[in-house]
Amino acid sequence: MKLELGYIFIKDIQFGNVSKVEGGVLYVNKDELKKLVMEDTVIASVDFDIAKPGESVRITPVKDVIEPRVKVEGTGAMFPGMLNKVETVGNGKTHVLKGAAVVTCGKIVGFQEGIIDMSGEGAKYTPFSETLNLVMVADPVEGTKQHDHEKAIRMAGLKVAAYIGELGKNVKADEYHTFETPNMVEGMKLYPNLPRVAYVLMLQTQGLLHDTYVYGVDMKQSISTLIYPTEIMDGAILSGNCVSACDKNTTYHHQNNPVVHDMFDAHGKTINFVGVIITNENVYLMDKERSSDWSAKMAAMLGLDGVIISQEGFGNPDTDLIMNCKKIEAKGIKTVIITDEYAGRDGKSQSLADADVAANAVVTGGNANEVIVLGSMKKIIGKADTTVVNTIAGGFGSDPVHGASLKDDGSIIVEIQAITGATNELGFNKMSAR
Amino acid sequence: MVKEIERAGIPVVHICTVVPISLTVGANRIVPAIAIPHPLGNPSLGKDEEKTLRRSLLDKALKALSTEVSGQTVFEN
Repeated sequence: MKLELGYIFIKDIQFGNVSKVEGGVLYVNKDELKKLVMEDTVIASVDFDIAKPGESVRITPVKDVIEPRVKVEGTGAMFPGMLNKVETVGNGKTHVLKGAAVVTCGKIVGFQEGIIDMSGEGAKYTPFSETLNLVMVADPVEGTKQHDHEKAIRMAGLKVAAYIGELGKNVKADEYHTFETPNMVEGMKLYPNLPRVAYVLMLQTQGLLHDTYVYGVDMKQSISTLIYPTEIMDGAILSGNCVSACDKNTTYHHQNNPVVHDMFDAHGKTINFVGVIITNENVYLMDKERSSDWSAKMAAMLGLDGVIISQEGFGNPDTDLIMNCKKIEAKGIKTVIITDEYAGRDGKSQSLADADVAANAVVTGGNANEVIVLGSMKKIIGKADTTVVNTIAGGFGSDPVHGASLKDDGSIIVEIQAITGATNELGFNKMSAR
Repeated sequence: MVKEIERAGIPVVHICTVVPISLTVGANRIVPAIAIPHPLGNPSLGKDEEKTLRRSLLDKALKALSTEVSGQTVFEN
């Protein structure tokens, strides 16, 4: 399967009368977008704002981040099975409004949404301080249940991102990149001497608003399966997650999965990138056993030499991670795992809830318990009061050392857990010990 | 907590959904629970069925507590 990504570099976002992309500037008609979102009767009110890199702006509580893309050639359409028909994507040509992002904001669960700072210390921890963000702040009608609320905000975000992406359909892209996965037989003929390596992508599926969707399928109801890496670039996998901000994979992370991109870079040079096995992180032990058995079984069926495994979230998914690792290693296939750590504020506690000697090659996204001070910002998009900041995962109402997270001057002291994407387990962030 | 209480000389049964974690942390008597969001019950069952389920878990735990073990043991039945 072959996909060409055309990057249209976006240098600025402005509100205007006509929605269009012109000269690298994304113009958005706010009223059109509002009308689009208000089609859903669950939404009571919606507004849009723009946040740019370097501005004194804090966005919170953040649910999802989505990159605007559009199918130009090939089958299917963006977010198949969820926003559009379920036809297979990942082939043909897709345009990307590179540099722009749609951020959905509004309190759903409260403690499981995140913070994005566009400048200051916090900006260093989130990749979305470097994107031009069109922020949607929406509230549901009174009495809306949380899962209906999550769905409404998820769908509104996807609709807005698709609408914006569509504006790039007939615009000439600045750069084109081609990604191709040969079928297994062709791949073996093409690269007979290269190690066969696949990617095991673990998706957060604990339920209770911790869900990921694949072609519209709630992944907790699926067994592990195979997917072409280019399908992921076309929105086949998307986030329905309200979970700790630092290590959840937003839809933007999936669309731009750096493991996929790096493996494509190495494809045909140092490895034969065979494909992607997607698996879940369910709450029943039997599901964990079955899904990890299945990833290992598929890794063996594919005749792999090596596997990279990435995790999403933390806690009991550490067990899914270790099960995948040790069961795949037991098949004689080498593994590298990508995770993050909850090692306590002093970094001295056990980093993962589970461990095994087979996990002898580990990449970490950092310690989520690390404490950080986020200076006050001139402008808040969304809400940064005590009901959000002191209850967000990584924040605190009354800590013996730090007091409450939210200070009188609007500054915040939190664990980096509260920052969207801070310890991302796909390696999207830039934190390093070096 | 399991280890600290045992260190004080009191035997502990760990009722736990993710048995591998319990094994990793070093519990000696482990009783598998139902699911992470509801370890000791199952909201999809009726009231009476759920009570039976809860009672059976507790009975199993009490049985485990009074059983001599020579190493880490998972009480499946």
